[in-house]
Amino acid sequence: MSLNQIRLQEERKQWRKDHPFGFYAKPMKTADGSLDLRQWTAGIPGKQNTLWANAVYPITIEFPEEYPSKPPKVRFPANFFHPNVYPSGTVCLSILNEEQDWRPAITLKQIVLGVQDLLDTPNDESPAQEPAYRAYKKDRALYEKKVKEQAKKYASA
Amino acid sequence: MAKDSYLKKILGAENFSRIQSSKVLMVGAGGIGCELLKDLVLTGYGEIHIVDLDTITLSNLNRQFLFRQNDINKSKSLTVSKAVQHFNYLNAHLVSHHGNIMDTNKFPITWWEQFEYVFNALDNLEARRYVNKMCLFLKKPLMESGTTGFKGQIQPIYPYYSECFDCSTKETAKTYPVCTIRSSPTQPVHCITWAKEFLFHSLFDEVESDQNLTDPNQIRSETDNEAEIAFFQKESTELAELRHLITTADPPTFINELLVKIFKADIERLLLIDSIETRRGSRKPTPLDVVRYSSQLAGLLADVSNENILNLDTKMWSVLENIYVLYKSSEVLQERIVSGRESSISFDKDDEDTLNFVAAASNLRSSIFGIEIKSKFDIKEIAGNIIPAIATTNAIISGFACLAGTKYFTTPSHGTDYSAITHKSSTIFVGITPNKYITSGTLGPPNEKCPSDALVSRGVFKISPTDFTTLTLGWLIGQLENYGYSRDDISIQKSNSKLLYDIDYDDNVDLTLASMSGLKDGELILISDDSDQLESLELYINIAEKTSLPELVLRPKVTHDEPEQENEDGLLENGMDVENDGVILLDSEAENEENDDLLIIDDEPSPKRRKIA
Repeated sequence: MSLNQIRLQEERKQWRKDHPFGFYAKPMKTADGSLDLRQWTAGIPGKQNTLWANAVYPITIEFPEEYPSKPPKVRFPANFFHPNVYPSGTVCLSILNEEQDWRPAITLKQIVLGVQDLLDTPNDESPAQEPAYRAYKKDRALYEKKVKEQAKKYASA
Repeated sequence: MAKDSYLKKILGAENFSRIQSSKVLMVGAGGIGCELLKDLVLTGYGEIHIVDLDTITLSNLNRQFLFRQNDINKSKSLTVSKAVQHFNYLNAHLVSHHGNIMDTNKFPITWWEQFEYVFNALDNLEARRYVNKMCLFLKKPLMESGTTGFKGQIQPIYPYYSECFDCSTKETAKTYPVCTIRSSPTQPVHCITWAKEFLFHSLFDEVESDQNLTDPNQIRSETDNEAEIAFFQKESTELAELRHLITTADPPTFINELLVKIFKADIERLLLIDSIETRRGSRKPTPLDVVRYSSQLAGLLADVSNENILNLDTKMWSVLENIYVLYKSSEVLQERIVSGRESSISFDKDDEDTLNFVAAASNLRSSIFGIEIKSKFDIKEIAGNIIPAIATTNAIISGFACLAGTKYFTTPSHGTDYSAITHKSSTIFVGITPNKYITSGTLGPPNEKCPSDALVSRGVFKISPTDFTTLTLGWLIGQLENYGYSRDDISIQKSNSKLLYDIDYDDNVDLTLASMSGLKDGELILISDDSDQLESLELYINIAEKTSLPELVLRPKVTHDEPEQENEDGLLENGMDVENDGVILLDSEAENEENDDLLIIDDEPSPKRRKIA
């Protein structure tokens, strides 16, 4: 057994006991009928009173074998419109970067809250895609329009 | 005088006969294994099993003294047992197994049960962890050993009584992401790593299949960008073509192709896929204008006195000078191979030709990416951080491993109660620090946060073929309640963190154990208690005649407020009296064969250190 297994079960338990309102997170079911604790799907609600509100944005969270020494990889759908999301959907966030602020003690809850924060407060310093970054810097009206369109696409029921 | 007279005198006749009637396992027959087997045979062990999956290569011969030139390509495990026969005075019965110790078909848990003592002589972390775990399952004593350069360590492990292999954090060598090295460097060290481990290695060194910088899985784990992945593949193919030119083209053709392909065409191709995603903070590269420099280069080459440039090792060479040095070093390296003197050349910081090549190539790459140029002297220091495998260290460590192992046989046995022997044993370090060539420390107790022996108990779950196909997961859960777990609080995982059952997931309870894929002989399942009352339990599934669960009393679960916060200093807080040697690290991936046998230790951990793979 590994730290990885103990820790992932612990994260599942903690999430079950306590998770932030409006979020969901669950391990994916595999073909053989087990749940893969290294592959999760989750939903991030946009904060109220922001451009991102009234929608739940789907992400996948992939925990590497070396987790918790190494951080999980968080992805939105490909081409998700946000300055800090790569075209592939991968989220560029310091707490998810081993070279930057990742620490093994960071929990699933902290990760999803971190991603929620990032939605409305993009980081100028680390652009990850051209369209959203350019719009954000140079054409705020276009940026807001695109974000709102995207919010509609992922509107919460 | 009989061959065993001294042994009997030293060990005591009774102890010696215990050794003679014992059956031990040695895992690994490489740098340490060759030395250790000699020692074990001469100590009089009755039966020694040797497992190794490797075959002998030329580069083994400088230190693995049981092998000779004509053994190349033969199995290590088979060859060692033949090689020691001519001094097998005490008639040890040697049994060789050519295979992977982690293969549960070849080496099922029932096979492991026959050994009284296990000696590790391994060169990688994964196998070490596996053997450690098997010894924990079976409560077998284990002797762990490893060396890196002049440093070495032995650690006797008495399951659940002393620290196990996983109790201390292992330092893994600093590695840079492949993509940083191959397409988006930002520091001189990235370019030096590229020049040495990718360019130089691909052109001149022995071709290895498991090279990290070309590993497609590694690349995929870092980038999703298909264009970038295709770029890496094409680049590798082209390097293979360049390598071919070394023996088929004249120096000017080869070197010109090298310059054009590597510093111009590849960079132009990289620019085609240029995006924020592939840039990763690096500067936009400027391809080298090879044509512009060609006449100046010809001018430099025409005058022999310019060879002095090669000796200016503290000067920052200009782009032209770097091209010149690359030309001169490539020419010599090519000649060394074409002449047949060498079939391949490994980078060595003291081999001027290889150093010149790497210095010039990394500087040219730096200039392309707008990174500062470094002097040859600086590059030598950064690139030269290679730890060689040293035969003497292996011999000393093997000697200690053997000697310390006899302690087990000279101490009265109390079954799997190892308290007495743990108290008498010590871990030993060797090194070249003055006045501390050999240091020892008492064995610490298991680390209370260790996932291998402190947070979990282990046992073998025997199940008959009939029961396996008729009993359900629900039945197993019922059995687990006998250990004190509550049905509502347990979770069951199989390997790779696949969850079979917990309170929110009962889809599988009516399925038979055999119908759940992944559950088979040799597999492990992990049971945890979500209510945090009891420790976890790991069961080894063994298809056997009769069904039985191990008899165990589970310990209360130890919880920590700060979950899994890693000990940043590295480790070994438990009872080691190694003084100010700083941290002693049993480090990891010594998969490189020049670096076999593991690892260790670093008195001055430099954060950017990179082990050369």
